[in-house]
Amino acid sequence: MKKALLLLLQLGVVASITTGCAVNRATAHVEPGTRLSEIKTVHVKKFASDNADTDRLIADKLRSKGVNATTGADTPANKVDAVVTYVEKWMWDITMYMLELTVVIRDPKDDYPLATGNSYHTSLTRKSPKEMVDEVIDNIYKEQGQ
Amino acid sequence: MNSSLSARPRMTRTSLIALVATLWLVGCASPASREAMVPTDVNSARPHPHSVSVLASGGADTGALDSSNIADEDLKAAIEEAVTRNKVFTSVVQGKNGDYELSVRVTRLTKPLFGMTFTVEMEAAWSLTRVADRSVVLRKSINASGSAGAGDSLVGVKRLRLAVEAAARANIAEGLKAISALTL
Repeated sequence: MKKALLLLLQLGVVASITTGCAVNRATAHVEPGTRLSEIKTVHVKKFASDNADTDRLIADKLRSKGVNATTGADTPANKVDAVVTYVEKWMWDITMYMLELTVVIRDPKDDYPLATGNSYHTSLTRKSPKEMVDEVIDNIYKEQGQ
Repeated sequence: MNSSLSARPRMTRTSLIALVATLWLVGCASPASREAMVPTDVNSARPHPHSVSVLASGGADTGALDSSNIADEDLKAAIEEAVTRNKVFTSVVQGKNGDYELSVRVTRLTKPLFGMTFTVEMEAAWSLTRVADRSVVLRKSINASGSAGAGDSLVGVKRLRLAVEAAARANIAEGLKAISALTL
């Protein structure tokens, strides 16, 4: 009986501090009127809690699409066509892995989101940070048929 | 010896009951409720003498094994109700027959995975377009957050839903305040 109570207590604690399981998903959206082909220069703003130099991975991926990309924690030194921000969420399951990545391409004038991509992969279908970046950026460009 | 053997099945049964009871207590994640996302503190000075239609996007359905999300139709209904309740426009219409078109797109909903107090951050792209000439009169990225603590609920999935609803409520309130401040 004691073991059962202990089990119930442990399950109760887990139920109390966790938010539920998850599913895999990958979404992208480009704001009507936005032409990604016209975005030639971007600045990737480094996320404060970046664990994997994701800003560099995003910049590299954008360069592969013909975009001139800089990175850094501050605002861009030169005028750019767009600022890219991102939020990454990490999870532990034997090893740490990137659970979720959201990338937003913004208008530098008012921070308005011009395009957004999000990928969410749990442990069994985990992807490397580079694969997550590739998936998100590719989905954004696919959304506009480029 | 005999007593330990006879005790084992009872222990297994008790453990199973404990497990089922816990799962029942926790339940599945539920989507943010449209009623709970309606703010009441927008303080619109006077309604804009126009009608508006609302479009909501960027949300997601809440799967059985997922955590709480905001469905597009619930966000749309919450915004419509908030516009009406706070008298931001004189009327809300469906389709494209309104004087203005309000588009709200969720671009980021950051939810915690663990913790006692959950804080959810929500960013949404708000744009208001005058239908007659398709001119954009408001284009704004709005960030807002909402929290729920153990005092709100001891069950994690419910606490997260409450935090998601609070973030949506705050975001809608900020968006409608920005619209109320416009001269249309």
